[in-house]
Amino acid sequence: MTRREATGIAAAAAVIVVTLVLPGALNTYYIRIITGIFMFGILASAWNLIGGYTGYPDFGGAAFIGIGAYTTGILMVRSHLPFAVALPAGCVLAAAAAGAMGALLLRLRGHYFAIATLGFMLVLRQLTANLEITGGGSGMNLPPASDFKIFYYWMLGGLVLAVLAGFALPRSRPGYAIAAIRENQDAAQVLGIEPLPYKILAYAANAFLFAAAGGIYAYWLTFIDPLTVFNIDFTVQAVVMAIFGGPGTVLGPVAGAVILKSLDAALTNVSLFLHNVFFGALVCALVIFAPRGLAELFQLRPGRSRVAALGASIREALQENRV
Amino acid sequence: MDGTQISPSVQIALQNAVNGLLIGGTYATVGLGMSLVWGVLNVINIAHGAFVMLGAYTTYWLFTLYGIDPFVTLPVAGAALFVLGYGLQRVVVNQVIRASFLITFLLTFSFDLVVTNGALAVWTADVRAVTTAYSGRALHLGPVIVPAIRLMTLAAALVVALLLHLLMSRTRLGSAIRATASDQDAARLMGIPIAHVYAMTFAIALATAGIAGGLAGMSFPIYPAMGANYTFIGFVVCVLGGLGSVTGALIGGLIFGLLTTYAAGWLGPNYDYIVAFSALILVLLVRPAGLLGRTARFRG
Repeated sequence: MTRREATGIAAAAAVIVVTLVLPGALNTYYIRIITGIFMFGILASAWNLIGGYTGYPDFGGAAFIGIGAYTTGILMVRSHLPFAVALPAGCVLAAAAAGAMGALLLRLRGHYFAIATLGFMLVLRQLTANLEITGGGSGMNLPPASDFKIFYYWMLGGLVLAVLAGFALPRSRPGYAIAAIRENQDAAQVLGIEPLPYKILAYAANAFLFAAAGGIYAYWLTFIDPLTVFNIDFTVQAVVMAIFGGPGTVLGPVAGAVILKSLDAALTNVSLFLHNVFFGALVCALVIFAPRGLAELFQLRPGRSRVAALGASIREALQENRV
Repeated sequence: MDGTQISPSVQIALQNAVNGLLIGGTYATVGLGMSLVWGVLNVINIAHGAFVMLGAYTTYWLFTLYGIDPFVTLPVAGAALFVLGYGLQRVVVNQVIRASFLITFLLTFSFDLVVTNGALAVWTADVRAVTTAYSGRALHLGPVIVPAIRLMTLAAALVVALLLHLLMSRTRLGSAIRATASDQDAARLMGIPIAHVYAMTFAIALATAGIAGGLAGMSFPIYPAMGANYTFIGFVVCVLGGLGSVTGALIGGLIFGLLTTYAAGWLGPNYDYIVAFSALILVLLVRPAGLLGRTARFRG
């Protein structure tokens, strides 16, 4: 074990211990906020698997939030299964759905893939509203949990899983194939890499984690309807957080979720109506001034101070892409 | 099926065809601007529907507050969004226009967030409608009924498509836009001011979105979150008709109108997305260049 690895493991252990004991020291409001941060950490890290590492920008992730939420809800309410059984079932179903849809959608590239995934989400929303088992448009109630703190721990567990997936994927054999596909799909194919199975793997892993967040969210909220869970805002926020923090990195998406969700909580306190407007303006500024994420913005350059480096990064970003 | 039952079912099929074509004009107008921006700027404007919403509110307020006929408000909605579009592209979108599509995608998402939630804060989530004195009138052509206002919206949509076609094919600006779309560097070397041409393209597209909003507001409810629906419609219309031509968008819009109307008639009112999406995926996988099979360039 190198010194760097040992430091990494020690830091991770310290963070996990702190997050485990934290709920004992905080009031309900902060536990709720942090649970939300964990949730978006899962979403951003999961999106990073398909959007960051693989380069296929999925804009329909909320489809899998919906599958996870509704499977969990239906199994708990109609089959009286415990949450710990219903949740994994939802995750597996979402991964299977991603496998089936991915076989079609992952043949599309760029804009076409992005919109097709968005369309897939809208279709599932409409199907859910039409079906009887889901309670249709009027939604369904889940049994309330005995203690709200359990959601904190479930979301934390999901986040650890998502970060581990983001750590393991690029270091595995499929991860090398996925990196080759992202950089140049045609060249990868020439080298004998059949792209579709690898893309499906990343897409299904992303779906599994989205469904985990969705299932926990449903139990946490105790009420779901098609518009709440099949909600494009979940996807967009996950994408923005991943890009903000640095796509294709292990902890970037989590950092993005922590920063943006904390900011969002503060803005919601200022104005419930306008916090989405602020968020939109923030995304707009981010895209113009730091299109490669926050990490890149603060990257040190030889012989320059941090502030000068920041200015140089922004100037480069502005000059690079304008007409 | 015996002979006596054919008559009513044929009548329903005919009526659906008429309804589909009439509403298809509005869908085509939504698709026109989306296709223009996509074809020339290579940007998928996720906020397109939000700008359609702004057009619908322009028509609604002019009609409700000042009693101006909704068809007279269409040029006003178009002009207002033209100005907005020019400014947005010149000041904001041009800064990132050469970045990867994910970046421009996110940028237009941010426009959508700001515009939709801004509208929600200013105008509330109330659902509104434009109901004119002639809204209930209809022509009876044999077995089918043609609602007057829908016929007029189709006529207006055709006028907009014709004007855009003339603009693209007969004017210097149109030539400049087409030249920029086919080869940006060559166009720049010919002395075409790219930043201005891009801004004009976005402005024209938003003007058509504004008019589309006015048209949509005469047939459908108006509310701040209505835009997402129209963005998706615009996208499907572009894919169905194939990117790159006014005719393509027009035909895509009419096909989409027919498709959703028949789907609503046969399956029920809540299957339009499912049908539209199935058609979208089918076309993308079988004929990625669209049903008309044109190339991905905007033609006049």
